[in-house]
Amino acid sequence: MTTGRVVTENVTCLGCGCACDDIAVVVEHARIVEARNACALGIQWFGDGTVPTRVRVDGRDVPLREAMLAAGQTLAGAARPLVYLAPDISCEAQRHGAAIADLLRGVLDTATSATALPAMLSAQERGYASSTLGEIRNRADTIVFWAADTAQRYPRFASRYAPEPAGTHIPDGRRSRTVVAVDVGSAAGPAEADRRVAIDAADELTALTALSALVSAREDGGAGYASCSGAAWDRARELATVLLAGRYVALVYDAEDVSSGADGRSVLRFDALTTLAQALNARTRAAAIALRAGGNRSGADATLTAQTGYPLAVDFSRGHPRYRPHDGSALARLARGDVDAALVLGSPALLPAETAAALGGVPCVVIGPRASDASLGSAHVVIDTGVAGIHSGGTALRMDDVPLPLRPPLAGPPNAADVARELASLIRQQWSSGEATQPARGTSGATPVAGAAEASR
Amino acid sequence: MTRLRIAGGTVYDPANGIDGEVRDICIDDGRIVADVPGDAARIDARGMVVMPGGVDIHCHVASGAVNVARRLLPEDHAHDPAAAPALDDAGTIPRSGTGGTVPSTFTTGYRYAGLGYTTVFDAAVAPLVAKLAHAQLDDTPIVDGGFFVLMGNDDFLLRQIDAGEHERAREYVAWLLGAAGAYAIKLVNPGGVEMWKRGSRERTELDTPIGSSRVTPRAILETLADAAVALGLPHPAHIHCNNLGVPGNAATTLATMRALDGRRAHFTHLQFHSYGGADGAWRSGAREIIEYVNAHPAVTADVGQVMFGAATTVTADAPVEYLLHKSSGRKWANVDIELETGCGVVPLEYKERSAVSALQWAIGLELFLLSSDPWRVVLSTDHPNGGSFMSYPTLIRLLMDRAFRDEQMRRVEPRLLAGSALTDGLEREFTLGEIAIVTRAGPARLLGLRDKGHLGVGADADVTVYANDSDRAAMFSTPRFVVKAGVVVVEEGALRRAPTGRRLHVRPPFDTAITRDLERYFDRYATVRFANFPVGELRDAPSPVAPALAEPRPR
Repeated sequence: MTTGRVVTENVTCLGCGCACDDIAVVVEHARIVEARNACALGIQWFGDGTVPTRVRVDGRDVPLREAMLAAGQTLAGAARPLVYLAPDISCEAQRHGAAIADLLRGVLDTATSATALPAMLSAQERGYASSTLGEIRNRADTIVFWAADTAQRYPRFASRYAPEPAGTHIPDGRRSRTVVAVDVGSAAGPAEADRRVAIDAADELTALTALSALVSAREDGGAGYASCSGAAWDRARELATVLLAGRYVALVYDAEDVSSGADGRSVLRFDALTTLAQALNARTRAAAIALRAGGNRSGADATLTAQTGYPLAVDFSRGHPRYRPHDGSALARLARGDVDAALVLGSPALLPAETAAALGGVPCVVIGPRASDASLGSAHVVIDTGVAGIHSGGTALRMDDVPLPLRPPLAGPPNAADVARELASLIRQQWSSGEATQPARGTSGATPVAGAAEASR
Repeated sequence: MTRLRIAGGTVYDPANGIDGEVRDICIDDGRIVADVPGDAARIDARGMVVMPGGVDIHCHVASGAVNVARRLLPEDHAHDPAAAPALDDAGTIPRSGTGGTVPSTFTTGYRYAGLGYTTVFDAAVAPLVAKLAHAQLDDTPIVDGGFFVLMGNDDFLLRQIDAGEHERAREYVAWLLGAAGAYAIKLVNPGGVEMWKRGSRERTELDTPIGSSRVTPRAILETLADAAVALGLPHPAHIHCNNLGVPGNAATTLATMRALDGRRAHFTHLQFHSYGGADGAWRSGAREIIEYVNAHPAVTADVGQVMFGAATTVTADAPVEYLLHKSSGRKWANVDIELETGCGVVPLEYKERSAVSALQWAIGLELFLLSSDPWRVVLSTDHPNGGSFMSYPTLIRLLMDRAFRDEQMRRVEPRLLAGSALTDGLEREFTLGEIAIVTRAGPARLLGLRDKGHLGVGADADVTVYANDSDRAAMFSTPRFVVKAGVVVVEEGALRRAPTGRRLHVRPPFDTAITRDLERYFDRYATVRFANFPVGELRDAPSPVAPALAEPRPR
C-alpha cells in the first residue's frame, strides 16, 4: 500500500453534470484528503474514497465467482427481467449493461426516465437548438437563466462556462455579458443578474409562447400582437427586447428538476423552451442549455441511443428494441408487477426513491458502488464495485455529451464494466450448458403500445 | 479460419487488371496468398462474381452528430426493427438494434457486411467528441473503420492562418489527427460554419473574410490541402465545399477546385455542389463540374447520390440544416461545438414528384455517367444524407441498367430537368468491372489503403461473392459470401460471424513545441483540460504516413 501523498491531476468529477475535469485529488494512506478545485458537491461526491468491497449472496459473504453464478442464475432464468442503469458507472459499463438486457430480452431503463424524461421527449418531438458548454463560454453575450439557479445544483457552472469566464468573443468575461434572471413562481434565477423578470408559475407557458411569437415576428417588432395584453405578454415584451439585442443568446434551464412533477404540462414546457431557442435563431444566434445531473446519466442516454436507437425505456422482449417511454419505464413496469428479476448496475443509493421502493420484493442483482450498503427490496446478489472516476476508469459524458476520460485516483473494488462483461458471457454459458433455462419469449403478454416514436404526428 | 479457397468464381479485381476472369482466390491467415493446400476450406464460387470487399469512402455512422440524429428519430427506428443475427460464434454476443435511415451501431456493422462492405469511414467527427466516435466504432462490428476529423472551422487553426504561421498550422494538424485518432483531414464549409456561429446569414465565398482579411475559405483550403500532402497522409484533404445545396453553387465548387489547382484534393458529395442557376432558380451544373474533374487528374470525388425515399441530413454544415428546417418544416437539432465546428440534423424525404429532388437525383447520375475516370469519381450517397447505404444496390442498378434508369426517369418530376445531360439520353451502362472500381478499388486507392480494394497477394482477405443475378439490385443487396480478414462472415447469404474490425487511423509526427502553445490556448478557451482531450492509445497501430520530402509550395 502506498503511503505518503499522491496527487492525481485532471480528474473528472461526476458530482453533477458539469463534469469538471480539472480536479487534483490528493490521496494519503489510500484515502482522499483533498479534492482541489472541487466545489462543495464535488467534495461530497469524492468523499474520502473509501467504499465497501463486499460480495454477497443472500446476505452471506461469498467468493466473486459464486456470486456471479448466482447472479447469472437469477437473471438467465427470469421471464421478465429488468436491467436498470443507475448513476456512477462508466459508458463502458453501460455498454455491457445494455448487452445484458438485449441478451435477456429484458427491459432496459435508466435514471433519466424518472427525471429528465419530459425534456427528452420534447427534444425528440421538436429537436433543439443547443451547443456544447464551451460555446456559451466563448460566445454567449446574453444569458437567460429560466427558472434555474446553477449555484445549488451545478455550483461551478457559472465560473467554468458562463457567465463569469472570458472567451474568444467575450473579452471581459462577466462584464461582456448581460445576465437575465427569470423567476418563475418560486423557482428563482440566479441572485446576481443584470435584469430580473418575475413570472407567475401559471403564466409561464403563456409567457413562453408569447415570447416565441414576438421573436418570430419580423421587422414590425411584434406590432401585430399589440392587442395582446396581460402580465405574461408584458413580461414577454420585456424579455424579447433583451433577447433580440443579444448576439448569441444562451437559454439555460434545468432538465432534471423534478419538483414540478413529470406531469403532462412538463413536456409542453420544454416544447415551449425549445421553440423559443429555435425561433431566436431566425433573428440572432441562440443555444438552449438543458442542465443535467451527474453520475454519467448523459452517458447512459447516449449509450442506449447508439446501441438501440432509443435513449431510455427500451423493451427487448420481442427480440429487438422497442421504445416505451410512456408505459415501459422501470417504474411503470415495477408498479404493474411486470418484473420478475432485476439487475441494478450502478449506485443503488442514487436510484430515484420511487424506483428503489418499487423494487421491493423483486429478486435483485445489485452490481455497483456501495451496493452492499443499500437495502434494495430483496437484494439477492450484491457485488460492490468501484465508483466510476474514483476507483474505476473509462469514459463519462458531461451534460452536453462531451466525453471525458476517468482517471481514478484510488484502487478499489472491481470495475463495474468488467463485472458486467463477465456476467454477460456467464449467462450465455449457463444457457448453453443447461445450468439455466432460457425462457421462451413470445409476444403474448406484451402489450403493444405506441411510444412517442409511434405516436402519430 | 486460417486457410480458404474461393474456387472458380469470375473475379473482378480492377487494381490488378483482372476484369471477369475465372480463377481461385486463396486466403491464409487473413491475407490473400498465391495458393493454399488442397485440404483448405473451400467456397464453391462457380458461376458467381468475386470482388474485393466494398469500401465506403464517405458516410456518417459513428460520431456525436450521428447520435444526435439517432436520438432525434425514434419514429424512424420504430418501423425497422433489427433482430439479433443467429451467429455461429460462441465468443460474440449477437445484438439486436434498429434500422431506418440512421441505424444503431451493431445493426450498422451487420448491414454493411450484409451488403459486402468491409471498410467504412465516417466523414465528419468533431475532435472534442472523438471518443464518442471510437466508442461507436467499437460497437460497429465486422467492418474496419475510421473517421475524418473536422478542421475547416477550427479556431486554433484559423488563428495560425491569421498569424501567417503555416508551419505551426501543419504541426497542429498533425497533433490533432493523432489526438482524435483520425484517418484524414475533413473540411466542411470552410469558414462558413464559423460565420454562422457569428450570426451571419450571407453566403460564404472563397475570399469572404472570416473575421480577418487573412483568414478566408481559400486560405483554409490551401493550408489544409498542403498539410495533408506535407504530412504524407494516405488520403488528401477531404473537402465539403462552401454553399452546399444552394442554386448556383457550381461556381463556388469550380472556384474551389481551381484554388487548389495541382494539389491533391478530394471533393466529397459532389452532387450537392453541382447546381447551376442562381437566385433560387435551379438547374444542373453537373456537366461543367465533371468536365473540370475529367481534365484534372489531381482532383478526386465521390458523388453523394440522392435516392428517392427517406433520408436524414446530418452535417457539420449547421447553416444548411437551419435552411432545410425552415424550408421543409421538419424538426431540427443544432449543436454548436465549441472552438471547432457545428452540427445539425433534419430528417428529409426525397420525392420523385419534387422538382428539386428529381434534379438532385439526375445530377448525381450525370456525374457518374459523364465521368471519364471511375477511379476518381466513386460511389457514395453521403449516407444518410442523400439516402441510406442500404440503397447502394439500387444505385448500382441505376448505373448498370439503362432500361431501369429510363423507367425511373419517366416517373420523376421533369420541370427542372430541361437541358440536363440525363434527359438528352445518356446511354452509358457501367460494367461489373467499373462497379468494382467505384465501390472498392477506387475508394481504397483514394484512401491510400494499399492492402484493400484488391485481391493481389498480400492484400487483406476482404472478399465478397455475389450470385450473378441479372437484376443487379438483387445481386448487390444479397451477397452469397462475405469474407472479412479471412473470416467467412456471410455464408450462403446469412450473417454467421461478427468479428471485431480494425481501427484505421494515422498518427503523424509533430514538433512537440506545438503542445506548449496548445496548453496555454486550452487554459484560456477550452472547457476540457488539454491532458483530457486526446483519445489516448487505440488498440490497432496507426497506418503509416509518408511525409513529403519537399516543403509544401509557398502560398
